[in-house]
Amino acid sequence: MAAIENAHFTTLKGAYDQETMEATLKVRRYDPETGKSRFDTFTVTIPVTATVLDALDAIKDTCDGTLSYRKSCRMSVCGSCGMRVDGGAALACKTSMRKFVEAGHTITVSPMGNLPVIKDLVVDMTPFWDKIRAIKPYLDTKDADTPAKEWRINPEDTALIHKESLCILCGCCVSECNSMESDPEFLGPAALAKAYRFVGDARDKDTRERLRDLSGAHGIWDCTRCYFCNQRCPKGVDPRDAIAKLGAESFKEGFTSDAGAKHAKVFVDSTYKGGFLRETELVPKTIGPANAIKDIPFALQLARAGKVPNPLSPHKAKDNDEVKRLWKLLEKEAKGQPRRATATHPDAVQEG
Amino acid sequence: MQERYAYYPGCLASLSQKELDSSTRAIAEKLEIELVEMPSVTCCGAGDIHEAKPDYYLHISARILGQAEQSGCDTILTICNVCTLNLRQANIALKEDAALLNRVNDNLKEVGAATYQGGVDIRHLLWEVSAGEGYERFKSIAVKSLEGLKVAPFYGCQILRPAKILGFENSDRPESLERLIMACGAEPIDYPAKVKCCGFPIVLAREDVALGELVQPLEQAMDAGADVIVTPCPLCHLSLDAWQRKAAAYSGREFGIPILHLAQLLGAAAGIEESELKFKRHVTRLSPSVKAKLQVPSVVGTKV
Repeated sequence: MAAIENAHFTTLKGAYDQETMEATLKVRRYDPETGKSRFDTFTVTIPVTATVLDALDAIKDTCDGTLSYRKSCRMSVCGSCGMRVDGGAALACKTSMRKFVEAGHTITVSPMGNLPVIKDLVVDMTPFWDKIRAIKPYLDTKDADTPAKEWRINPEDTALIHKESLCILCGCCVSECNSMESDPEFLGPAALAKAYRFVGDARDKDTRERLRDLSGAHGIWDCTRCYFCNQRCPKGVDPRDAIAKLGAESFKEGFTSDAGAKHAKVFVDSTYKGGFLRETELVPKTIGPANAIKDIPFALQLARAGKVPNPLSPHKAKDNDEVKRLWKLLEKEAKGQPRRATATHPDAVQEG
Repeated sequence: MQERYAYYPGCLASLSQKELDSSTRAIAEKLEIELVEMPSVTCCGAGDIHEAKPDYYLHISARILGQAEQSGCDTILTICNVCTLNLRQANIALKEDAALLNRVNDNLKEVGAATYQGGVDIRHLLWEVSAGEGYERFKSIAVKSLEGLKVAPFYGCQILRPAKILGFENSDRPESLERLIMACGAEPIDYPAKVKCCGFPIVLAREDVALGELVQPLEQAMDAGADVIVTPCPLCHLSLDAWQRKAAAYSGREFGIPILHLAQLLGAAAGIEESELKFKRHVTRLSPSVKAKLQVPSVVGTKV
């Protein structure tokens, strides 16, 4: 034990033997006892290789021991230190301080968005975990025989869910999700990316049920495609792309009754029929004729500005027969293919 | 900036947002760039086809890119964020995967469509006129100073994120619209929601969620003292302009702030007439004071 402690000390000492720099950080504070927030500004001396997390550690060690934040692995694996740096969610341990110091820029560190703040930079992850739990984050192989050893999966099948498997559950994507700001019940990018990790897993046999649930209220069609999740994810999961894959899978399973799915279908049908979007069909086909009638005053405002194209002479692209033939060709091709790569039977892949 | 572009106006500018198409053509003429028509192109899919039928999306995108190639242009000019992202996403997917491109081209050949060899880039008008030679050329035609006009830039999402596909500028702190607003002699107004979502992709399927997003830029731009909002995306425009009254009912606050297409703002600074900028085609009308600051010459009796 002593040897380990000494090793740790040596590493730290080694780090601080490096060239150092002076960094200033503005940190959002929140005191749950008084319910008051404020910004504190700290200046610390840190190694030139320091991260935002190292700078926070230096503040805690030398300026204010009450500063609260989460951390653990310090190497972008545990997902504990998600916080906003200059307004954008990032892992503090993956964000270098040097470029800010060299630019003479004082960074602002604040807690992640879309989650309640407990103290300073610590947020309550309960709503995050509730949503992860809601998508059943484990394999359901139904009644398939459980193999005696591990259930292996082909590299080709793994590749399909590789990106989604990289998620470290840090919450950076959720922090910035524009739909969640507006609809806190939206499952959101982290839970949906996790859901695709199981929907796309060849060993999972709960695909239909999963997609049925995910394609309903507060599910995949709540996504507003702001792409903040892809931009913020520190691990390259690209949650928005996972949501799009869930959309495609739910179409394959025939779950197209949600207004969002109907909206998407109008685009598909429009290109087939004439090339461009048929705007006048979009409203009634997405929200239903009854709701469209309720929206007539709104439609009249648009019509007065010349924004309602004549539904009787929709735009026709030249040579659109090519597109029709293409659609038919691809539908025929898709019919001949399995829905997705199938899992190798457990007995066939056991070693021995 | 190129001398010739394969012009891809997309659905909205061809249909409900025709004022964007006419303004773009007028500004292109002033900039002395040729817009080559592609009469057989389809919708880019707007993210919807990508989500519902990803393979079909890749094929129709390749067909669009192939037509641009056949027109002898190496760059497609877009005027819509959603078209820009969708075409660029498909372009990257097709260029990175030779087997995929071969399969797509075999299918395109089979139906008699143009194939795609991988030689096209997709650029938004904003990118072409806010930097380099295009910016210099715009400054030389921006003969009118829109002095006193306070303009809130609204970027929208799909011209900024994901940066690895778009990548023109810092997606958290973009400056291209501000640069152009200043080149027009107007004053850029800063506010945090300028890089956030307008809610348009879900405004029909999830109206309340979308309106919750839409009120943010409207409220913040007005609180910051903006006279108008300018956007490079016709979907954002439709959301901010046509859904503005619904956003007002949702938030209990009156807005009444006019929304300009980027090409309209540039056009006003270049002295292009109302008959081409067509501000009358907006649901939220220009107030007399904004009209005066835009100094757009109007011809009496112009058809909308």
